[in-house]
Amino acid sequence: MKIDRRSFLALSVGGAVGTALTPLPWKIQDDLAIWTQMWPWTPDPIDGENTYVNTVSTLCRGGCGVTVRKVGERAVKIEGREDYPTNQGGICNLCASGLQMLYGPTRIPCPMKRVGERGANQWARISWEEAISMVAEQLGEIRQAGQPETVACLSSRKYGSMPGLLKRFMTAYGSPNFMTTPSMMDAYEMTLKRMHGVEGRVGFDLENADFVLSFGSGMIEGWGNTAHMIRINSHWKDTQAVIKQIEPRLSNTAAKADQWIPITPGTEGILTLGIAYVIIKESLYDYDFVNNFSAGFEEFRNVVLSGYSPGNVSKQTGVDQSTIVTLAREFARARRPIAICGRGQGTVPGGIGEYVAVHALNALVGNINRPGGVWAMPRPEMDGWPEPILDASAETGLVKPRLDGAGTASFPFAEQLFNRVPGALMAGRPYPCKALLVYDANPLFSMPGVETVREALQQIPFIVSFASHMDETAMMADVILPNLTHLERWEDVAVTDGFHRPMFGLVKPVVAPQTDTMHTGDAFLQLAAALGGSLAASLPWDDYATCLQEGLSSLWTDLDEQGYWIDEGYQPDTWSFAFPTATGKFDFAAAGGNLKALFVPSQPDGDDGSYNLELIPYDSVRIANGPVGSPPFLIKIVSDQVLQGKTLLVEVNPETAHAAGFGEGDRAVLKTPLGSATVRVHLTEGLMPGLVAIPRGLGHTAYDSYLAEKGINANDLMGSVEDSASGLDAAWGIRASLVKV
Amino acid sequence: MKQTGNSDKPKRFGMVIDLDKCTGCGACMVACMAENNVPFRKDESKKLVSITWLRVYRLTNGKPYPDAEVCYLPRPCQHCAGKHEGHSPCVSVCPATATDYDQQTGIVSQIYTRCFGCRYCMGACPYHARHFNWWDPVWPKGMEKYLNPDVSARMRGIVEKCNFCFQRYQKGLEKAHMEGRRELEENEYQTACTQACPAGAIIFGDLNNPQHQVHQIAKPNLKKGGRPQNPKAFRLLEELATNTKVYYLSSKQWVQDAIHKPDLLDQTEAQH
Amino acid sequence: MDSALIPKGVKRCPIWQFALGLGVVGAVLLWGVYAMFLCWFKGLNQTNMNDYYGFALWIWADLAVIALGGGAFFTGLLKYIIGKDDLKNIINYAVLIGFICYSSALLILAIDVGQPLRSWFIFWHANVHSMLTEVAFCLSCYFAVLTIEYIPLVLENRQLDKIPFVHNLTHTMHEHMAIFAATGAFLSFFHQGSLGGVAGVLFGRPFAYREHLFIWPWTFFLFTWSAAAYGPSFTLLVTRITEKITRKKLVKDTTIQLLAKISGWMMFTYITAKIIDTVYWATTTAPSLGFSLKDFYSNNPVYGYWILGAELILGGVIPALMLITPKIRSNRLLLTLATILAVMGVCLNRWVMVLQVMAVPVMSFDTWAMYYPSWQEVATTVLPVAYGIILIMISYRYLPIFPNEAELNPLEPETPVVAAADTEEAAEEGPEPGLTPAEA
Repeated sequence: MKIDRRSFLALSVGGAVGTALTPLPWKIQDDLAIWTQMWPWTPDPIDGENTYVNTVSTLCRGGCGVTVRKVGERAVKIEGREDYPTNQGGICNLCASGLQMLYGPTRIPCPMKRVGERGANQWARISWEEAISMVAEQLGEIRQAGQPETVACLSSRKYGSMPGLLKRFMTAYGSPNFMTTPSMMDAYEMTLKRMHGVEGRVGFDLENADFVLSFGSGMIEGWGNTAHMIRINSHWKDTQAVIKQIEPRLSNTAAKADQWIPITPGTEGILTLGIAYVIIKESLYDYDFVNNFSAGFEEFRNVVLSGYSPGNVSKQTGVDQSTIVTLAREFARARRPIAICGRGQGTVPGGIGEYVAVHALNALVGNINRPGGVWAMPRPEMDGWPEPILDASAETGLVKPRLDGAGTASFPFAEQLFNRVPGALMAGRPYPCKALLVYDANPLFSMPGVETVREALQQIPFIVSFASHMDETAMMADVILPNLTHLERWEDVAVTDGFHRPMFGLVKPVVAPQTDTMHTGDAFLQLAAALGGSLAASLPWDDYATCLQEGLSSLWTDLDEQGYWIDEGYQPDTWSFAFPTATGKFDFAAAGGNLKALFVPSQPDGDDGSYNLELIPYDSVRIANGPVGSPPFLIKIVSDQVLQGKTLLVEVNPETAHAAGFGEGDRAVLKTPLGSATVRVHLTEGLMPGLVAIPRGLGHTAYDSYLAEKGINANDLMGSVEDSASGLDAAWGIRASLVKV
Repeated sequence: MKQTGNSDKPKRFGMVIDLDKCTGCGACMVACMAENNVPFRKDESKKLVSITWLRVYRLTNGKPYPDAEVCYLPRPCQHCAGKHEGHSPCVSVCPATATDYDQQTGIVSQIYTRCFGCRYCMGACPYHARHFNWWDPVWPKGMEKYLNPDVSARMRGIVEKCNFCFQRYQKGLEKAHMEGRRELEENEYQTACTQACPAGAIIFGDLNNPQHQVHQIAKPNLKKGGRPQNPKAFRLLEELATNTKVYYLSSKQWVQDAIHKPDLLDQTEAQH
Repeated sequence: MDSALIPKGVKRCPIWQFALGLGVVGAVLLWGVYAMFLCWFKGLNQTNMNDYYGFALWIWADLAVIALGGGAFFTGLLKYIIGKDDLKNIINYAVLIGFICYSSALLILAIDVGQPLRSWFIFWHANVHSMLTEVAFCLSCYFAVLTIEYIPLVLENRQLDKIPFVHNLTHTMHEHMAIFAATGAFLSFFHQGSLGGVAGVLFGRPFAYREHLFIWPWTFFLFTWSAAAYGPSFTLLVTRITEKITRKKLVKDTTIQLLAKISGWMMFTYITAKIIDTVYWATTTAPSLGFSLKDFYSNNPVYGYWILGAELILGGVIPALMLITPKIRSNRLLLTLATILAVMGVCLNRWVMVLQVMAVPVMSFDTWAMYYPSWQEVATTVLPVAYGIILIMISYRYLPIFPNEAELNPLEPETPVVAAADTEEAAEEGPEPGLTPAEA
């Protein structure tokens, strides 16, 4: 067959046009386009009615006031409340990730009873009836045996209705052992007791300060009320307040400050006294306050002048003499100076000597209870509750000494010394602990010296956890009664942590409970009812919501209407009335403490010989360090100079690293007297030589694969160091070395 | 994207970011991810494949201890206008018109369902504002409940980036329309990052509107490609004439030098 | 066994040897296919690409393979339009190489895009301002042209050619080959150029950006020129390799010398233009964007001035000079060396214009990004090479690709019986179609 050009063309073109005219190619293309948009595993969120529910987030200690956007019944976004007095529209990164705590498979779905060995993570699901009766049975037995004091309860918060309810339960039960995890607030409150003679809480009127001397406080990294402090920092930029940050490491706070003053770790208290020396020597102090409203100044003055000259201080701290003198003069001459302390986020209290020194510095410039200064404020109370009813059993138990030794003759000013508990448990003194109730706390991760804590917990035959997510402590529990998450429950946030106004925020349920969990408040009410007698009478409420409303009944109108109550017009007591000490005045001598001994800083564990470096912890605003583990969004924003895959990077000054034979990114074994771990080295000019810096909050072994096994837990390598004067944990680091892998 | 169109003067939505106030906390990054259904994987430490529409960079002055200094710089998509309004580096190169410059708002959009993932736009963007879905996004069971229905979830193989939370603009316009208005107040359209920042370091608004803060602070000179007339304000890569809409403020000379004179820096540490 | 398929007048290795060769290359091909499916089903996380390296090994391979395949259009232009008739001895192979190169490019692109099923959007939602749109259209059309140019070669297989319809079709197509060559040259000018334009328009990347002539950056013209210059060198190199493997001379020396000389002069003029462009860019363009030359070649472990020297001198000036110097060019070994340097040179140029562009930081606080390909990327890049080798093997075995082959490799006279049969067959069919060079 002969084919010519024409017929060839005709055939080809005809064929193409013909095919194009059929639906076939267009249908196929259309289908392909749609199919690639609608893969079944690409979620397609359903729209619905938009509503906003105001509540307060309990994830961070700051308690950001949030408004939660809902689409239908789903919570889809957590945003800051503009009208909330502390954060004013901003929100911290942890609270912003909150929906990842509410939703997801990591939540404990219902009560669980341990089967198998402790810590083996094998659980049987049980009903709430069974769970409550299990706990009630154990607690009942212990009470019957006349040993109610052997039950301990741990919470991370001290104030508010939930801690209040737990403490009330413990009181009615007959145990003095309501304990809270350590924080700088323990030290601050002890300082107020010793120097003001009050049982109060501390407040800082930072908004009105114009010169801030910060001894290592991570002001924009989670110290105090995070979102509030970050806002204050911006306010300082606008008012041109002067910020001086004193710490061994260039933290973000130091970076944003007007001056970073590097200092040998652990010697911050010495520097404080060096500054006091100059102020006293050059008579720059507030005469009115010192002469008319203080006592014990002579003693204080003598100790300072005899031991803390700038030359002496310079040697110990590594800070130039001229810097010390300049700092002192600037501080004293500022219109509204304030000095604060509490390293990092303040999760480890520190030696009481440091706090007394810093508070004395504030006293010297007369800012106590003044605008821009340090305030002693009343503690938040659940005013609406009647006194708990105590039976004979309770009376007997309550007079026993606490497990942690707080309030005993050795530590008369202390209220909470949880760092002493592991030692007490191992020794079985003053008595063994038969049961531990853990609420909103994760001591097996967040307490320094994790292994010691684990051993101690093993001594306790019955551990109950109320965690909503499987954290390290919950893994060790015998029974878990999971709490509702923060977006499913009623609660209050007693705003403390340095906020300078009395304030309560109202936590409201945003969504219905997503799984079979129960408000821990309700669980305790049911436990009390099960135990009967005076316990039931002391916790008589039908449900927790009623209990909350009654407790805060005087504030309820505001709480209900606007979601918070605040005493905007609050003013602290004036000097004439602020110091109910024996003299009625501010006590520079800190209630008869041996100031000289008080001011000696604690020493880190380990000897010079085997360990040539010092390991110091640092707190990162991007790593959750408290009872809540970092949700996926938060761990996502951790820098790759901190975490690479599962490996942690520790910070080392280049000089120090090179001397030890390490370059950027090199693997190394970090050794301390408590243990060792493989890390990578990150060189930074923002750290004093001779130190290794490690972030807190990583190294989880529980939760889920988004968080677990990433990095190492600083608390595995560092333990607590008991401050002899106060019993508080005064560890600021530990001796360490970096060796080749 | 002309549905926003009206014959009034076009808007140029932009930002002023105060680097003195930015604390590097990353709340903006989290808020952006929460608002825009950004996925997350188990290991997000390889930042070059980690999707964060807004990325906070960490700048150092390169000096040795104890003179080291650090500054944080949040970098959203810069919504470049280019030399003639609409000639963004990325928009001009996309072969499938999956990214477009909206003349009415100045916002550079991204059409997920049209993008076929050639990644040319990513090569064109000097700010690395664009991210590719190297994996299929997977939400742990139950977490898909928190997804924002106003923002489509993406599939693998396509590019995504910051769009100045355009869904909020649309919602704002809807609300205004119901109330019989056509214009939005300054506070009625704010991006998620602006809203979340606890430091108040980010300000967002219409650069063309003399009543908006961004205009008042940056004072952009439209005759000179949007250059800020405020001497404290600067834009990234001003010399490339990308004509971006994000203005930065810093009172620190070393930060200004670090941005403008690259040869002065010995070492940089840009991560996150 | 398959002797009926083998062109007349030439000898081929035993089929078992052929099958073995196919098997070995086929195994490599399968490895590549496996990697390809991994990429399609698991996603592009199978590669080492990241947000800084959106363009990496594959895009480089695309650009390189298209530049190297430029021998097809340029040889076609020279032969059919300009009238260098001697090139008829190599044009078939050039077309085959071009076909392989372009089909490889399309295959790699299909794997490289994030949503291959949406690839047609580039036609449907075309953005006329984008260089890649232009590339897509012209590349697709040119591939069609190459297919049209390759089809007659296939149809010239001894058995197929026996079919009158096929024979006439082939003849018709050969008659009109000039149109296709012209179309191909036209299309190539644009897409080779647009590939250069892909990098040159990036005003956000001072390393890549060049001044424009109207809407075209200078890289547009440089890319077309380099494809025209280096493509023929690649054709020559592949021819030489084929000759080495088959142990036969396949193309006349005069043709080789002609193509080499043209390639050499194209290279010489190209590299002159390229050096001028580089100097202008280094002294004027990049500084106006805030960058000095050393910013692009320091503070990173790989990209130093050495790569600039390697591309321009080792891969440009030296092979150009070698090929334009008759004494050197006539030495086959030196000619081959020159073509190797040339191929390296154009590959380096394409690498630099893709990967170094991605590596160079632009924001002052940004860092250099380094990259090496994953095994999946390597396998899928080797895949088209394996496919190309297989196609060459099959084409060489069964198609009359080389008009000079029989002449340059006369066969031993065969046994009388066979010879008679052959002669009878030959008498029936007329002139050997397989050995008829295509005539305009």
